[in-house]
Amino acid sequence: MANWVPLWLHRLGSPPVFYRFAGAVRPWALGLAIALGAVALYGGLFVAPADYQQGDAYRIIFIHVPSAWMSLFIYGAMALAAFIGLVWRIKLAETVAMASAPIGAAFTLITLATGSLWGKPMWGTWWTWDARLTSELVLLFIYLGIIGLHHAFEDRRQGARAASFLVLIGAVNVPIVHFSVNWWNTLHQGATVRLLGPSHIDASMIWPLLTMMAATKCYYVSSLFARVRADLVVAEGGKGWVRDLALDDAKDAPA
Amino acid sequence: MTPGHLGAACAAVLRRDLLLAWRRRGDVAMPVLYALIVGTLFPFAIGPEPALLARIAAGVVLVTVLLSILLSLDGLFRADIEDGSMEQLMLAPQPLAMLVGMKMLAHWITAALPLIVVAPVLASMLHFPATAIPVLILALALATPLLSVLGAVLVALAGGARRSGMLLALMLLPLCVPVVIFAAGAVSAAQQGLPWAAPMAWLGAGLALAVVLGPLACAAALRIAMDS
Repeated sequence: MANWVPLWLHRLGSPPVFYRFAGAVRPWALGLAIALGAVALYGGLFVAPADYQQGDAYRIIFIHVPSAWMSLFIYGAMALAAFIGLVWRIKLAETVAMASAPIGAAFTLITLATGSLWGKPMWGTWWTWDARLTSELVLLFIYLGIIGLHHAFEDRRQGARAASFLVLIGAVNVPIVHFSVNWWNTLHQGATVRLLGPSHIDASMIWPLLTMMAATKCYYVSSLFARVRADLVVAEGGKGWVRDLALDDAKDAPA
Repeated sequence: MTPGHLGAACAAVLRRDLLLAWRRRGDVAMPVLYALIVGTLFPFAIGPEPALLARIAAGVVLVTVLLSILLSLDGLFRADIEDGSMEQLMLAPQPLAMLVGMKMLAHWITAALPLIVVAPVLASMLHFPATAIPVLILALALATPLLSVLGAVLVALAGGARRSGMLLALMLLPLCVPVVIFAAGAVSAAQQGLPWAAPMAWLGAGLALAVVLGPLACAAALRIAMDS
C-alpha cells in the first residue's frame, strides 16, 4: 500500500523516466512561477502600504528576501542531492546537485545586487562589511568554487562527484562562516519574518512576500528540471532512449 | 615497532616526505621568501607611517601566511599521483586517512613551521608591538595546521583536475574566512590590551575538529579524484 512511494522514487531515479517526468512538470512549474510572481509583485508594489520609516524603498524586500531564502534553500537542496549521489552513487542525484549550483549562484547574486541597491538609500552606502552581506558574498564564492571544480575535470561524472564532495565540505563550513562573521561585525537589521514566534511585519506586507517565495520555489523547480534534462541527454548520449528521442524528434519535425 | 604495524607505516610516510623535502630545500624556502617579499610590499603601497603599519601588521602577516601556504599546497599530492605512489598508499592495509594525515603533518612541518618562525620578523618590520608577538605566534600555531588540513582536502579533490592552481584559491579562500577572522581577532585584541582567550579558544576548537575530520575527508576526496 504505502510501498508505492519508494517504488515510484526508485523508478524516478532512472534517467529516461525522470526525463519524461521533468518534461511534463516543467511547463506547469514555470507557469505557476510566472503567475505567482506577477501576483506577488502586484501585491508588493501596489497593494502593500509604504513603510512608515523606510517609505517606498522597502519594497525591494519582495525580491531581496525571497532571493536570500532561495540562496540558502538551494544550497540545502544541493547538499542533500550531493549526499545521496555520493552515498548511493545515484547518477541522477549528482546531476541534480550540479544543476542546482548555477541557479543558487544566480539567486545569491540577485540578493547581493538588490541588497546593495537597498543599502544606498537606507545606510548611505552601496557596500558595507556587514555580517550578513559578507556571509552572502562568501556563499557566492563557495557556489563559484563548486561550479569551477565541476568543470575542471575531463570526465563529467568524476567532476560531479568531486564537486559534490565540495558541496558537503561547504555545508559544514557555511554555518561556521556565518557564525564567525556575525561575531566579527554586524549592522544588518534583525530577522523580521520568523518561523517560530510572532513576525515583526504587517499582514499586508507578508502575503506578497510569501507568494514571491512560492514563485521562486516554482522557478527553481522549472529551471532545475530544464537543466537536468539537458545534462541527462548529454551524459546519456550513447544510450538507446536518447537515440529514440532524437529519432522521434526528427520524425515529428516538418521536412 | 614491527614492520606493517600502523605506527611503523605512519613513521615511514612521515620520514619519506620529510626526506624528500630536505633533498629539495630550495623549494621549502620559497614560501618563506614569498611571504617576506609580499610583506615588504605593503609599506611601499600604503606609506611608511609606523602607526598605520602597526594597525594593519597582524592582518598583513596572517593573509601573507595564508597565501604562502596556498602556494605551497598546490604540489602536495601531485608528485605522488604522477609516480603512482598514491595508488600504493591506497592499496596499503593501513587506513588511508592515517597515512594522508602524516602527509599533512609533513606539509605543515615543511611549509608552515618556517613561516611561523619568520612571522615575528615580518611583524616587527611592520612595527607590530613586541608585547603581542607571543599571541601572534600562538594564533599562527593554531591557524596554520587548520589551513594545511583544509587545503590538503581541497588539493586532493582537485587532484584529477586539469588546471588546479587558481581553482584551489577559489575553493580554499572562502572556506578560510573563519580562520582569518578568529586569528586576526585574537591578535588585534591582544594588541589593544583586551582579553584574547575567546577567539583563540574558537580557533583551537576548529583545529580539533579539522584534525579529526580532515584526514578522513582527504582520504575520501583522494578516492574520488583517483577513481577513473
